[in-house]
Amino acid sequence: MPIKLMLRNVLAHPLRALLTIGSVMVAVFLITLLHAAVAGLDATLQQASANRLLVQSAVSLFVDLPLSYQQKIAAVKGVEAICKWQWFGGRYEQDKGGFFAQFGVDHDTFLLSYPEIEIAEGSAAGFTTERTACIVGCDLAAKYGWKLDQTVPIAGTIFQRTDGKPWEFVIRAIYRSSKTSIDQNTMYFHYDYLRESLETGGARGPEGVGVYMLRVLPSTDTLQLASAVDALFENGPQRVQTTTEAEFNRQFVSMLGDVPGLLKLIGSAVLFAIFFAVLNTMIMAGRERTRDSGVLKALGFGNLVVGGMLVFEGLLVCGLGAIAGAAVVKLLEAPFQAILSARLPGFAFSTQSLLLGCGLAMLIGLVSGIVPGLRVARLTTVQALREVD
Amino acid sequence: MNQPADIEIRHVTKCYSRGGQTLRVLDELDMQMAGGTFYALMGPSGSGKTTLLNLVGGLDTADQGEVVIAGENIAQLSSGQLARWRANNVGFVFQGFNLLPVLTARENVELPLLLAPINRRQRRAQAERALELVGLSDRMNHKPSELSGGQEQRVAIARAIATAPSVILADEPTGDLDRVTADQVLELLQLLNQQLKKTILMVTHDPRAASFADKIVHLDKGKLGRIDDNPTRPATAGR
Ligand SMILES: Nc1ncnc2c1ncn2[C@@H]1O[C@H](COP(=O)(O)OP(=O)(O)OP(=O)(O)O)[C@@H](O)[C@H]1O
Ligand SMILES: [Mg+2]
Repeated sequence: MPIKLMLRNVLAHPLRALLTIGSVMVAVFLITLLHAAVAGLDATLQQASANRLLVQSAVSLFVDLPLSYQQKIAAVKGVEAICKWQWFGGRYEQDKGGFFAQFGVDHDTFLLSYPEIEIAEGSAAGFTTERTACIVGCDLAAKYGWKLDQTVPIAGTIFQRTDGKPWEFVIRAIYRSSKTSIDQNTMYFHYDYLRESLETGGARGPEGVGVYMLRVLPSTDTLQLASAVDALFENGPQRVQTTTEAEFNRQFVSMLGDVPGLLKLIGSAVLFAIFFAVLNTMIMAGRERTRDSGVLKALGFGNLVVGGMLVFEGLLVCGLGAIAGAAVVKLLEAPFQAILSARLPGFAFSTQSLLLGCGLAMLIGLVSGIVPGLRVARLTTVQALREVD
Repeated sequence: MNQPADIEIRHVTKCYSRGGQTLRVLDELDMQMAGGTFYALMGPSGSGKTTLLNLVGGLDTADQGEVVIAGENIAQLSSGQLARWRANNVGFVFQGFNLLPVLTARENVELPLLLAPINRRQRRAQAERALELVGLSDRMNHKPSELSGGQEQRVAIARAIATAPSVILADEPTGDLDRVTADQVLELLQLLNQQLKKTILMVTHDPRAASFADKIVHLDKGKLGRIDDNPTRPATAGR
């Protein structure tokens, strides 16, 4: 019957109970979602290739490396192939407001180094044999309605042609990517086209290389190789930092801000807000029932029972919220996965994070019940009975 | 049925400290009340009536002295022991009824029986018998909000007698009731005293309510004035 009494107390304010259960439900769902996002992000970064290293300036990604480094790096034992990456930063003439990335790369090693790139239309040879050729991602081509063999005018920003005209690239291949390490929204063209234009005075801009990508021979110690490369330029002219692709990606993501940290912060903020909401509700409930508690004590019920009823009430409300949250997670699992699987292939609701969410909800219920429960348990019968409501 | 329980107060002192000052509400009070008698406790406001009632009912503990009910000195019990003692030996009736609003009349009466070693069916039967006694058999499934003040107080009395305690303590039980319903409640208390031999101690300001009792105790400034036989008992009481 104390259980019946507790249930009746909860049901006496159905709207309040529903709102509390609802907020706990939202919290449990959000915790699970954020957890899945963090895990997804991590898994996505982990998809990076283990046999590719990236060499960048030790100062910053935005500082170019000298062209002359290529030969020295290529000579290091264990390097199978080397490929330059240079950020172009141009604007598509037909869509000045839009943005997509363009990179100048070494046409002869690029496709070999990235086996996840699959040619969907055109051919690899079409791309490699023509100086002004480019290869574009299928999503990008679809966005602008580009066709094979079409010429795309790109206005330079960092690299500007001296005749004032836009650069022109011919689409000789359209690619798909089987991994997230390469997205389907980028244009790649010949680095040599850029370099020759700069050397002949056809264009102005910085000479140098953003990043060198190294493809590592099988059964090579990548860490040792990385430090060997770093050691090459220890005394300048420019020091370098060599990292695995996974580490590089992680640094790149963290340049946008500490995304996982931000997600965790949001999760904690939500938890705190819900905690105070539930705590407030339970304290209110405890106050309203002070006199009832006094009556129960006068009838001979112990402090433990009287206080425990509030603790169980907190647990009950949060437990119902957790169950509702779990139901929402199960319900939305499939649609969320469908939407996010393209961007975050590692994204998945895990039972573990759902259990974590439910556990935190129960903890909130416990603490929110203990606070008012302790109060009524400690009040003397006479004090509790004197309370006017 | 239990033996009528005597109530004995020996040198009881109770103080409250407020704002650094100590207020001696009961001052070495001595008092004897015979079992099976209906007492009305009267006195000016602030004279310590409620304080005394709480001590007798084991809701509060005295600073000094002994409170002996049916031969047991409850001043020596711990708070847990006191709670158990209350469940078995006293029934309370309050001015504000103090029913739990979310429970029906029968569930309210069943509440103290939860602490008794009986099963569900016995509990239910005992609660229904108590409600029958107070004349509310037809209101068992009503919530307090669906009852009149007089009916609520009768449910509270049913709750007080459900565990068959030998002592009933009532603090201004008719304070919130009109005259007619007050009379019904007082007659009910009288009945419990006469037929079930309950020892009743009822605080009241109302001489008319006091006239239902056998004896009237006068309390003034924490000191016992006198105990009178009630000269004005209405003929209806039939004594
Ligand atoms: N918890 C407390 N703390 C401090 N003082 C208290 C406390 N309880 C009661 N008092 C004081 O003790 C005195 C006696 O209180 P008590 O409630 O026993 O009086 P009473 O005779 O029942 O009065 P009334 O007829 O107004 O109900 C009063 O002066 C009251 O202010
Ligand atoms: Mg009083």
